[in-house]
Order: sequence, then structure tokens, then C-alpha cells
Amino acid sequence: MTESVRKRSAIEPAEALLGRDAPLPQIRKRPITTTLGATFVLWRAVAGVLWIAAFGLIWFDEAHADGIDHPTAVTVFWIIAVAAGIGVLVLLLFAWLVWRGSNLARILVMAALTFSISTAAIAHFAGAEQITFRTTLIIVALDILVLLALSSRDARAWSRQTREHGRRA
Amino acid sequence: MSRREGAGADATPRRRFSLLAVLDEFFFVFAGVAAVWLAWLLLTETFQLGWWGIAMAVAFWVLIAYLVLPRIHRVLTTIYVPDYFIGRTRTSDGLLGDPINLALTGEAAQVHQAMRTAGWTQADAVTLRSSWRIITSTITRRSYDEAPVSPLFLFGRVHDFAYQQEVAGNPAKRHHVRFWRTPDDWLLPGGARVDWLAAGTFDRAVGFSLFTLQVTHKIDADTDIERDHIVSTVRQHNADARLDILRDFSTGYHSRNGGGDSIRTDGHLPVLDLRALPVGAEQPASAQLGSDAQRAEVRND
Repeated sequence: MTESVRKRSAIEPAEALLGRDAPLPQIRKRPITTTLGATFVLWRAVAGVLWIAAFGLIWFDEAHADGIDHPTAVTVFWIIAVAAGIGVLVLLLFAWLVWRGSNLARILVMAALTFSISTAAIAHFAGAEQITFRTTLIIVALDILVLLALSSRDARAWSRQTREHGRRA
Repeated sequence: MSRREGAGADATPRRRFSLLAVLDEFFFVFAGVAAVWLAWLLLTETFQLGWWGIAMAVAFWVLIAYLVLPRIHRVLTTIYVPDYFIGRTRTSDGLLGDPINLALTGEAAQVHQAMRTAGWTQADAVTLRSSWRIITSTITRRSYDEAPVSPLFLFGRVHDFAYQQEVAGNPAKRHHVRFWRTPDDWLLPGGARVDWLAAGTFDRAVGFSLFTLQVTHKIDADTDIERDHIVSTVRQHNADARLDILRDFSTGYHSRNGGGDSIRTDGHLPVLDLRALPVGAEQPASAQLGSDAQRAEVRND
């Protein structure tokens, strides 16, 4: 028994904190945070569709005012609308994947949200953008709420476990 | 942590240190910081919106009390609250919760039987359905005997099951006790081996906690009354239940629970020995629920 006693650091390495509460109980039901996260991503997709519609409503007047001729304006509209449409489809795909319990999709969505929030924050603190209720507060708030939901312990535990179960199967 | 766990049957201990795990921790903390910023944005908006400002102020409070503070607590308590047994449960935020004030020996079925015979009702699990039922039963003032209890953690996992007794006609007051199966070969400080630990407290009112800013049940500070109530009801209705007392087990613990309620105790830990209880006479329908939770036992403690 004494053989196994060796000098070791009295301070726990910081990395030990990383996976510390990983062995959470097996959750068989989808946690509400995962559902919320997937729903919010779905809302973002719906918001994207609305954005395309709103863009279509004002773009042609704007283009006309800026002296852009009609065929060019139509082309530009379709390029932007298709790009935004692809974005909407990607959001829909991710909403579905998160809802299914894909851990990678959850991480990727969180990465995108982090980027989006950081951009808004930097713009805000640099004084370039005023974030108020009338401008982008709702979007920033939704981003942060989704990030909170998707990074919560039970959402993590559930999607990790589906990942591991999927591999075992 | 995964080093300890590596000894177990799990063949994938190394994955805990994967990039995804690191990212997970980063997002967990980042989300907390971002939520603080959002709260600040909401607060500044509150003063600029006139009457709508009231709605924003409520949103601010909900955000702070239910999202920001729990997340901050979670991050900080992960760092500084020890993860071993200290006679206290922990709330889902990692704060110290109700004290452990009862121990039991016996099988799950025996515990279920002892509690049911003694007039206790097993609490439902927290689900959307049970949460909805709490709301409707509160509004319609109907009783909901099996109302779920909030999750408290011991050995890093939520209670296996909980029992409660309603106080006639008052949904704000109730007796309740949560049970955790101890890990195999785990000994209490002092060396006693028990199969179950339990935390019994009496909810005396619904109130506003200045600690967490949340609306919670206030517990009766004198946890000994509830502990003795559980022990006496079980012994009264189960002739085969034996009682040992570990005297002054936690005499030094006078503190607050996670909601900021103070706790007083004489520190004795009753150990109910239920091993002599005949099992099978009445198979509790809900025993299945308890054993499901046990299967999820942590392997590393």
C-alpha cells in the first residue's frame, strides 16, 4: 500500500475541472433546454424568411431611389434572396439536428451564436452600434438565451449521451 | 476525474478531454458573461421605454434570477465547492442545499414500502406535465399530493426519489424528504455503512429568496423536527424498522441552505434499519421509478 504513495501536487490541475460533472445521470427524455434551443434556431429560420420578405418589399424602392436600373435590381434581389434562403435551410437543418440530439450541431450552433454575440458586443462597445429595443436588442437577446439553453448541463449531457449511444449502436 | 473513471468499465474515458469538452466549457462560461451583458442592456432600456419599462424590468429580474445568477453560481461553485460528502446536498446551481439528516439501510423496495406504509406519497418527477399540474392545482386550489420536489444533488446526481406529505389545505406547506442511494462501499464519515441518505425538510411557506432572487419554498429552520417526524412515522407504522442514532454526527453544522434559509440541528443522524422489513407484501408501483434512477449511478465516487 505504501508503494503507491508518491508525491503529487496538492493543487488540482485546472483541466480536471473540464469534464468534472460529465457523468450526469442518463436522461432519457429530451431536456427542455434542448427543445428551447432547437425552437429558437427554428425561429431564427422563420425570422430569416420574414427578413427576405421585408427586404423584397423595400429593396426595389431603394434601388430605384439610388438609380439602379430594374433588371440589375432584380438580379441583386435574387442573389441575396437565394443566399439568405440557403442560410434559412441551413438553420432549419441545424434546428432539426439539435432537436435530434446531435452534439456537433449543438457545438456548431453555439459557435455561430458566440460569433454573432461577440460581433454585436464589439460593435456596441466600440460605439458603432446602439443596441436598443427598437434595433437589435431582440436578436441579441435571443442569441444569448439560445446560447444559455444549449450550453446548459442537461442539454450537454443529453446530446453527449445520444452521441455515445449512437456510436455504440 | 476521467483518470479515476478510467478504471471503470467505460471504454472511452479519454474523450472527456476532447476539444468538444473544452469548447463546451468555454460556451458555458461565455454564455454567462453574455447574459450579464444582456441584463445590463435590459436595465438601461428599462429607463427609456416609459410604461413598457415595467415589462422590461420584469424581464430583467427573470433574466437575473433564473438565468444569470444560476449560471454564475454554477461556474464558481464548480471551482470552489468541494465535490465530496460534507453532510449537505447541493442545489442545481451548485449551492449548498438542505442538510442530510437521515440515513437508512435496506433495499429500495423496503424504503418505498416503509414510506408508503407510514403515510407518505412519492413525488412525481419534474416534467412539463407535472409542472403544468402544479400551476393548475395552485390556481384551482386543488391538492396535488404527488407534486414534484425541486432537484437536489448528492454524490453528483439528483435524488433517486422523494416522498412527501401534504399539510391539509395548504399547498405552500408540506413535509418532504429526498433519498439518495449511496455508492457501493461508500462509508459515512466515522465509518458507518448505510445504503441510503436522505434530506428531510419542512416547507413552511412560499417566499422570495434574497439569496437567489427566486421565488422558492422557505424551509423550517429547525430541521430536527422534520427528521424526527419522518423517523417516528416510519417506526410507528413499521414494527420491523430498527433505529440507531449516530450522535452528534453534524453538530457543527449550523448554516443556510441554498435559498438562504438558516438551519438549526442538534446534529444527531438517525439510521433507520429497514432490512428486516418483509418485501413483496405490497409491491409499490412506483418502485420502478426509483430503480431507474439508481441505474444511472455515478461510477467514479
